Amino acid sequence: MRKPERPHEHCCCRATRQATGSRWKEVTSERIMSPAATDAAESKPPDGGWGWMVVVGAHISIGFAYSTPKALSIFFKEIQEDLGASSSEIAWISSIMLAVMYAGGPVSSVLVKRFGSRPIVIVGGLMCGVSMVTASFGRSIVYLYLSIGIIGGCGLCFNLNASLTIISKYFLSKRPLANGLAMAGSPVFLCFLAPLNQFLLGDFGWRGSLLILGGMMLNCCVAGALMRPVTLSCNPSAVAALKNMETTTKHNMSKKGRCLTNARQFLDFSFFKDRGFIIYLMGNTMYIFGAYAPIVFLSAYAVSQGVEEYSAAYLLSIMGFVDMFVRPGTGLIANSKWIRPRIQYFFGFAMIFNGACHLLCPMMTSYAFLVGYAVFFGVGFGMVFALIFECLMDLMGNQRFPSAVGLVTIIECFPMLLGPPTAGLLVDLYGDYKYLFYMCGAVIMSGGLFLIIMNILHYHMLEKEKAEHNGARRSPETGNQDGVSLSEAQREPTEAESAPMNRDPQDPSTDDTGPDITDHF
Amino acid sequence: MIPGKRRAAVMLLSAAIVGAMLMQPVRSQNEPSIAASENVLLTFEEGSSPGIVLQCNLTSSYSAHKENFWMKNGEEIPETRQDNKNMELKLDRPRADAAGVYVCVYTFDNAPPANATIEIKSVPVITGHKRSENKNEGQRAVLHCKSLGYPHPIWTWHKVDNGGFKDIDNSTGRFFINSRDNYTELHIVNLDINADPGVYACNATNVIGSNKETSVLRVRSHLAPLWPLLGVLAEIIILIVIIVVYEKRKKPEDLQDGGPVKTNSTNNHKDKNLRQRNTN
Repeated sequence: MRKPERPHEHCCCRATRQATGSRWKEVTSERIMSPAATDAAESKPPDGGWGWMVVVGAHISIGFAYSTPKALSIFFKEIQEDLGASSSEIAWISSIMLAVMYAGGPVSSVLVKRFGSRPIVIVGGLMCGVSMVTASFGRSIVYLYLSIGIIGGCGLCFNLNASLTIISKYFLSKRPLANGLAMAGSPVFLCFLAPLNQFLLGDFGWRGSLLILGGMMLNCCVAGALMRPVTLSCNPSAVAALKNMETTTKHNMSKKGRCLTNARQFLDFSFFKDRGFIIYLMGNTMYIFGAYAPIVFLSAYAVSQGVEEYSAAYLLSIMGFVDMFVRPGTGLIANSKWIRPRIQYFFGFAMIFNGACHLLCPMMTSYAFLVGYAVFFGVGFGMVFALIFECLMDLMGNQRFPSAVGLVTIIECFPMLLGPPTAGLLVDLYGDYKYLFYMCGAVIMSGGLFLIIMNILHYHMLEKEKAEHNGARRSPETGNQDGVSLSEAQREPTEAESAPMNRDPQDPSTDDTGPDITDHF
Repeated sequence: MIPGKRRAAVMLLSAAIVGAMLMQPVRSQNEPSIAASENVLLTFEEGSSPGIVLQCNLTSSYSAHKENFWMKNGEEIPETRQDNKNMELKLDRPRADAAGVYVCVYTFDNAPPANATIEIKSVPVITGHKRSENKNEGQRAVLHCKSLGYPHPIWTWHKVDNGGFKDIDNSTGRFFINSRDNYTELHIVNLDINADPGVYACNATNVIGSNKETSVLRVRSHLAPLWPLLGVLAEIIILIVIIVVYEKRKKPEDLQDGGPVKTNSTNNHKDKNLRQRNTN
């Protein structure tokens, strides 16, 4: 008995091929399909029902992943006194945690592809819990680096990657909304964890707090339990064809080829041939470089403008609070039928808005203006982060998303770690915070402009290639409403295609929205 | 003149010259006199400390005076050097840290400097102290108090018990008090969760008066975080059980229907046909 290719996806059909052979061809010409044959094996993601519980699970999981490194900084002062470490040594804990969380992306994607989201999120939750509990017994700073930084970072990395993947599996037409809701977990949990950590610190000390926090991170296991593997109505012949092809290719490949494919599992460099991916990656890198520095230095800047410390800290809470509502709101807007086809442009616009905010910040001298800046910053930040993974899903499609997100996170590691120290260097050199904001605003804005311009070019070139492709092959055209962008049509198929997929050239970026799907049946 | 008489005259003359020479330094050892203002007592009532002016006037001196400056507590106050015989130091709205020993110093070209001392005294005001301290059992707690004022106070520590100030019972030998001029620390080693928690007061007393401030000491037990942890674990286990049971109960129903989770697409009957074929 053959082992199913993806054991975590339940194929409910146990039919034989002969019954559906011809009927399948008839139907496939009119069904929604995406280019790769494996995508054809899935009919359509559920887009609702249990999917919303999965969004809750992803919300919790992503919430812990993004807010824990920031919320831990509340304990740092006491840990510093207790263990006798310097402030830079202490700050490394957060940095190591973030770095491992991002760098572990490729490993996480391989595991998710192999085992599915649910076991990975449960393991991630367990790792996080164990890391915090063991950290509470720590006696030296290196011990904390290992337990919180490395083990905790690994756990969070598994959480993040698996949650995003399962959203892409469960949602298609409502995917931007689902993404917005799930990513909203980050500000919600930060707003919730920060005062909680203060309270725990006062009542239990840092060791007791880490112990309790470890217990709370086991809630990620609950989130994982919610992430039921998606049941698909599958297409038996396509699946069988795929399995056949896979086994034959494996036999035919030489040893070197097999090594390469195994290595490619971790870092799939074929992504770099995808123009859309490169554009996304470059725009994203520029954004991440400038995104975190203003957050780090906002209260210091406010204090330098004469605002008192307590009110300056309040600015960040305002930003987080606004962020909480903007993310789902952006998801809702991005889901609408005007924006969804142009979601890459919306992403670029969000970045430009964010960059403009930062460029205007040095003009804000009074507290009221700074509050306004914090609000707009929250809006911009929330918009970008609600769309950041949605756009990648849009570009890469279901199958390639896990590996793509692994690759993107490991590359994003570098600007994320370099951004705030560079900004700090600017502050030290010029003694003025305004250059920091100018730099961050300029970098982010140019990232957004780059995305918009390059995407216009990219879609233009895709149209041209499509026209040539259609001219050369006279196969029936089917509309593609899978919600994937034009770039999907250009992907080199890694698996055999059961039917040629072409997009309607007149409408280059028809991603589907609810009602449009049915038009093509 | 007779030789003997000449010798006597020379000796007298030389004695007179030596005497005259000796007398010079004696005369210069007369101190120059400085008239200085009185010692001040600082009070801190609202609106009643307008400003203090300290004055020193060089009334007589035998040597040309070069310049003068003020010193506070042994250190020169910057930007007070001047060459006016009459010197003043203005202290606007003096707070407790204005108290101390002030010295006006006059320097001379050919003579050692002369000075006069004015003291500003005040009640000790306790500034730096922790309102509360939370420590774990068995750890060491340090309570401290810092004061401003002159003369330097004598420090004592008490434990506040039901409104009354009790002396600290050091029968267990765990309490140590370190006091310096303006600073005091109470060290408690090996905290005991039963005996040690409570309110502690540091008392600063000098000639003028005394002040005290309180700090709260809380001792956390090692087992304190275990209860919330158990609560959180229980919540997690309950939720997981609910989710798993729900899923197990739904699965058999799912398999009976033979279809996936309902999609919200309005697929036409062709799709339904396909699905029906797929079930056996």
